[in-house]
Amino acid sequence: MTTDVAPLEQPPAFLARRRSRSGGTLGRYLLVRALLIIPTVFILVTLVFFLIRLTGDPITASLGGRLPADQLQERIHEAGYDRPVLVQYIEYLGQVFTGNFGTTLTDNRLVTDVIVTYGTATLELVVYALIIALVVGLPLGMVAAALRDRAPDAGLRISAILFYATPVFFAGLLAKLVFSVWLGWFPVSGRASVRTEIALNREGSTGIYLIDAIASGNPAYVQDVLLHAFLPAMVLGLATAGIFLRLVRTNVIGTFNMPYVDAARSRGISEYRLVRKHAYKPALIPIITVIGLQVALLLGGAVLTETTFEWQGLGFQLTKYLAARDFVAVQGIVALIAILVALTNFVVDLIAALIDPRVRY
Amino acid sequence: MTLHHSGRGRLGLALGAFGASALLLAGCAGGGGGTGTDDAASGEPLIVGTTDKVTTLDPAGSYDNGSLAVQTQVFPYLVNTNYNETEVVPDLAETAEFTSPTEYTVTLPEGLKWSNGNDLTSADVKFSFDRNLAIADPNGASSLLYNLDSVEAPDDTTVVFKLKAENDQVFPFILTSFPGAIVDDEVFSADALTTDQDIVDADAFGGPYKITSYDFNKTVEFTPNENYQGLLEAPVNSGVILSYFSESSNLKLAVQEGDVDVAYRSLSATDVEDLSGNDNVQVIDGPGGEIRYIVFNFDTQPYGATTAEADEAKAQAVRQAVANLVDRDAIAEQVYKGTYTPLYSFVPDGFNGATEVLKELYGDGNGGPDAEKAKATLEAAGVTIPVQLSLQYTADDHYGPSSGDEYAMVKSQLEQDGLFAVDLKSTEWVQYSKDRTADVYPSYQLGWFPDYSDADNYLTPFFLTENFLGNHFSDQQTEDLILQQAVETDPEARTQEIEDIQARVGELLSTVPLLQGAQVAVAGTGVDGVILDASFKFRFAPLTK
Repeated sequence: MTTDVAPLEQPPAFLARRRSRSGGTLGRYLLVRALLIIPTVFILVTLVFFLIRLTGDPITASLGGRLPADQLQERIHEAGYDRPVLVQYIEYLGQVFTGNFGTTLTDNRLVTDVIVTYGTATLELVVYALIIALVVGLPLGMVAAALRDRAPDAGLRISAILFYATPVFFAGLLAKLVFSVWLGWFPVSGRASVRTEIALNREGSTGIYLIDAIASGNPAYVQDVLLHAFLPAMVLGLATAGIFLRLVRTNVIGTFNMPYVDAARSRGISEYRLVRKHAYKPALIPIITVIGLQVALLLGGAVLTETTFEWQGLGFQLTKYLAARDFVAVQGIVALIAILVALTNFVVDLIAALIDPRVRY
Repeated sequence: MTLHHSGRGRLGLALGAFGASALLLAGCAGGGGGTGTDDAASGEPLIVGTTDKVTTLDPAGSYDNGSLAVQTQVFPYLVNTNYNETEVVPDLAETAEFTSPTEYTVTLPEGLKWSNGNDLTSADVKFSFDRNLAIADPNGASSLLYNLDSVEAPDDTTVVFKLKAENDQVFPFILTSFPGAIVDDEVFSADALTTDQDIVDADAFGGPYKITSYDFNKTVEFTPNENYQGLLEAPVNSGVILSYFSESSNLKLAVQEGDVDVAYRSLSATDVEDLSGNDNVQVIDGPGGEIRYIVFNFDTQPYGATTAEADEAKAQAVRQAVANLVDRDAIAEQVYKGTYTPLYSFVPDGFNGATEVLKELYGDGNGGPDAEKAKATLEAAGVTIPVQLSLQYTADDHYGPSSGDEYAMVKSQLEQDGLFAVDLKSTEWVQYSKDRTADVYPSYQLGWFPDYSDADNYLTPFFLTENFLGNHFSDQQTEDLILQQAVETDPEARTQEIEDIQARVGELLSTVPLLQGAQVAVAGTGVDGVILDASFKFRFAPLTK
């Protein structure tokens, strides 16, 4: 009896081996992905370090039109910018490994402060945009797939193309002109009105205005912050929503034609359930991967949106520091962006691997 | 069917939700483009908008307009210029004068206090200048204290500046500028820059205002400083909020929509022209110290000293022909819509000694171009026509977005009568800065904004043999006159010497001045007290609404 029952209670040996190998593969996969972040960031930071030094120095950028060449050179020497680049690079790496990103050369601020101050602004905008992209893109993509080749589908596809083909700075200017200047519905620019900013700053700011406004307990501040965020978030978010919409539509249509969907349909499962349970979820897997890529694109698009709407974020600040040849600030910001993108992709890889085991192999 | 209904329902729901949220938010906005918290009631702080940026609040670490604009409001200066005047008079000081050729002595009133309650004494003054020289920050303006040997504070109310050169007439003007701000010795570091937040937290202010809220390059809230006892009257407003913009187009929209009360530096020429026709705002202008000019490299320009056909007389004739052909009025009106004015002198209008020497010497005598005169000048010197001239300008925004249009027009003016063939090129600013002093450009664009409000600032840096242009210009007569005016104690004699320098340089034409920038502010129609004078400081104290 005992010998008859025992094999039934224990998993077959080949299944146990397979489970163990599967777990090990996922672990190894994630470890490799995590380790790849280090060389990615290192290579990017190194490239930025050398490239920006090829383009000049901050002292020439700021005082090149005011000082004689010898005085300019004297200041460059005092600042140490004329030392061998390798010496500067080794010094920089030493600082980075101790967590010291330095102080900006042009406005004397800790790079970590710059990153926190402007990074939170960009993060807030990107999160708003991502929410809009997901809320608009995913359901409308599903609708377009379900109504394939009908008028609503055509309208949605055209809208999607318009959303992502329109440059964000143009869409931003247009939205500002119509909704702010002509209709007067929304503020022209900024993250909040001047007096709200002063009030939030005085009360101690986390850098994320919506949180600060909610924490202040003043509904006028919350309303003010949301009003300011609406247009930039829509402009940035809709561009990505268009991509999501088309991607979801294509993938859902693709899964509609899969044999297992036909099998489900033949079993009498409703069309609604077919889309929700059988076609939509598998179609989301590539979307998750694309979201990771879109975060990088959103950060890039945010530069233009930030400029158009006076949303003082990291990307916008990066362009200012680049123009001023502020080595330290640029290196710090680029390193952060690289880390952010790498981490986002890591999380996306993780989710994709959890959902779809094929990814691990 | 279920699916279709559901899809439509969800689509409708999504669109409805967005529409509703937009309408809800828009409804909350009250249709005014404001936010419900924007409307400034009587007595509320005014809002000033700008695109200038602060480098640092610490006067030892900045040499830029954005920082000076804030420092002017919150730090005390020993001497200053009163509204709409050019004479240097005591500000924080009770008296300020030369007590010997190399000693400039300042006395302070007793009982001065910083806004934090600390005593403001001569020790603070000595500390301020000593630390500026000790720190010598690469972004700072300590180089302007080139003639300062040492500072002594024999008692709490007396400061003696020991100078290297005698009778330096420029020194008092420098005290009104970047390195002249006095700081609290109990708050600021003696050998390193003090952070903005430390300054604000310590409430270390002694100007007409103190800063009560500071969000770096976003917003600064100025509140009247009740301890201020200077030249300027106490602020007549309850405070000012300075709001920073990154794009001038956004600043223009903000003042147009009433989100800011005053827009100061820098609206584009087209924006100013557009706003001048808007009944809701007023455009206010004043003399500007900014100048734009063409520099000639005396070595590499046509017939320059190191060229194969080196000939000093021909080289001068080329420069003079350029001066005869440029139509400054056309550039000012067509490119800059009147936000710049024609400049016919080296010392711009508004300064002692400014004369329109180039109007008399070149062109039609009324400021217009004269091609016949230019041709005659070239032919008399035996110059081959057309003159091949390489002209360079900087393509990025360093001198504003209209540089390309400005220099395209200069090229067109020089070429239209066949006297010149201009090779016009542009370069990115940092490379441009290196190239121009490395003799790469035979002739090129530059601009200048004064460090201090005195004619000397348009002469010494430009026309001494050791000049910042590095264009190999050297003339002993000019050199002697410049050095003489700098120590001339008789104001009338000094004015004459400044005029003589310009007459001499007008013949030699190391540079050809083109335009003088006006200071422009745009304010709501209910705003008063915007004073833009030759101090080039926009002071907030007289603003009212």
